[in-house]
Amino acid sequence: MAVIENTQLRGTLLAIEEINAAGGINGRELVPLIYDPASESAAFGRYAKRLMVEDHVTTIFGCYTSSSRKAVLPVVERLNGLLWYPTLYEGFEFSPNIIYTGAAPNQNSVALCRYLMDHYGPRFYFVGSDYVYPRESNRIMRDVLRNNGGEVVGEVYLNLRAKRRDFQPVIRDISELRPDVIFSTVVGDSTVHLYQSYADAGFDPKVMPIASLTTTEAEVCAMGFDVGEGHITAAPYFQCIGGERNSSFVKRYKKRYGESEPTNMCVEAAYFQVHVFARTLQQTNSMETEILRPMVLGSTFDAPQGPISINPACSHADLWTRIGRVNRRGQFEVLQQSLSPVLADPYLIGYGRSMVSGQG
Amino acid sequence: MRMSWRANALPSEIAGLDIVVAIRRDEGGELLIRDLQRTRAKVRHVWPLPERLPEDADVIFCDLAPGLANRIPWVPGEPKAAFVVIVPTLPPPDLEMLRNCAPDAVLHRPLTTHAVLSSLILARAHFTYSQRLRSRIEKLDETLRSIRGVERAKAILMAKRNMREDEAYQFMRRQAMTRRVSISAVAAVVVDTEEVLG
Repeated sequence: MAVIENTQLRGTLLAIEEINAAGGINGRELVPLIYDPASESAAFGRYAKRLMVEDHVTTIFGCYTSSSRKAVLPVVERLNGLLWYPTLYEGFEFSPNIIYTGAAPNQNSVALCRYLMDHYGPRFYFVGSDYVYPRESNRIMRDVLRNNGGEVVGEVYLNLRAKRRDFQPVIRDISELRPDVIFSTVVGDSTVHLYQSYADAGFDPKVMPIASLTTTEAEVCAMGFDVGEGHITAAPYFQCIGGERNSSFVKRYKKRYGESEPTNMCVEAAYFQVHVFARTLQQTNSMETEILRPMVLGSTFDAPQGPISINPACSHADLWTRIGRVNRRGQFEVLQQSLSPVLADPYLIGYGRSMVSGQG
Repeated sequence: MRMSWRANALPSEIAGLDIVVAIRRDEGGELLIRDLQRTRAKVRHVWPLPERLPEDADVIFCDLAPGLANRIPWVPGEPKAAFVVIVPTLPPPDLEMLRNCAPDAVLHRPLTTHAVLSSLILARAHFTYSQRLRSRIEKLDETLRSIRGVERAKAILMAKRNMREDEAYQFMRRQAMTRRVSISAVAAVVVDTEEVLG
């Protein structure tokens, strides 16, 4: 998990450095206080408390897993802080003390399911890590799938710290069942094990791809470009989407962190959310949540993924929906994308049980 | 030992508030008013106890008098201000009444500066937290109603406009986006139109 979580820290720091280099906020420098909970969910809650109680901080950027966000939630709610959460998640949440800048299920799952059914077939095998996010996302995916004539042919959850050999039974299962799609919500270091085990088994991504909401350029880098090639991810952002805004962002990121370091959706969200915060702070000149939050809602920003806005109805960002396939250089080729930012609908009010195309 | 409290050392959320104080102007009352004024609050003193306490304040401090529950300007559960009740030394407090007044904090006589400021910050913290929670609950209830409303609208569109289920949702989402309103607003229009036109 540290690999992807670290990229979020980098995105955050890059934005802070840019803001300070441009003169700071009303002449004042942004000074980050950084704590590393070492991927332990409960520690996130303790550090959030420390930040708010001892360090007198009200705005917190961070959290990757849903478990970590859920650990911070009660703290920011009770003490009236503001958590900026830059990671895709399972939806069905709306806290007045969180700004959600990662994709909600209607901004990734729905379009992905439709694309996969259209291009590969209706039989899906679910493999995920064993915690709240994969289980909840699978619930949504199963619903969408079944209400459109698809079928979940198998479902398995592995420990977050699963080893390579723990994936052998999964590979055997897949060999026997021959699904059309392997829908993966495996998160963290074990992502590499899944994809490598798949490659070792000699399966063909052209007919039975692994489709994910969480596998990014960072994981592909770790597993090996040849191992990742041909598999699919749905995300608001990939490093090689076009656009002037994105190319200058990627350039600056690589200049700061190394030519061989790719950007990914988590970096990008962590990056743009700091800019949204800074723009707002410039206007309010106060970090008190009561004053800051109302101004954040409804604000817009030209992010690397394209223009985004913070939807005031639910405190979630309206984001672009894209589907990409890994090429042999470890980069995602965009197969499909929304024509405009997709309004966040964390409770799937506008979707019922049906599925819709990626556009609109 | 310094007894005064520097206003600029106060947490910002309790500086400069609009505070109503309904207390007899005895020694305790004077201390309360003075300590609150030191927080740069705008302090309004009301005495004798009015039929109905004013509701347009950030905080209300009030003596626990008989019939207090009837003088509170809101219904229990929908407070408009943080509320601190001051309990006298004698007679023993009517505990049921105290509970029914649902204050956010309690002050006991004899009053001290520390007690006053502690009750002020706690009352504001409890009041604003409960407001946030209630707002979150209201939004959840509204979300559930929306889901139901959108379902109804979908059924109407499928029947009247011959749309498939996903087409109906897509239609409503596009309308919502173009008109820059929520999907539940679009759904409400669909349902209302059907009721009028049949």
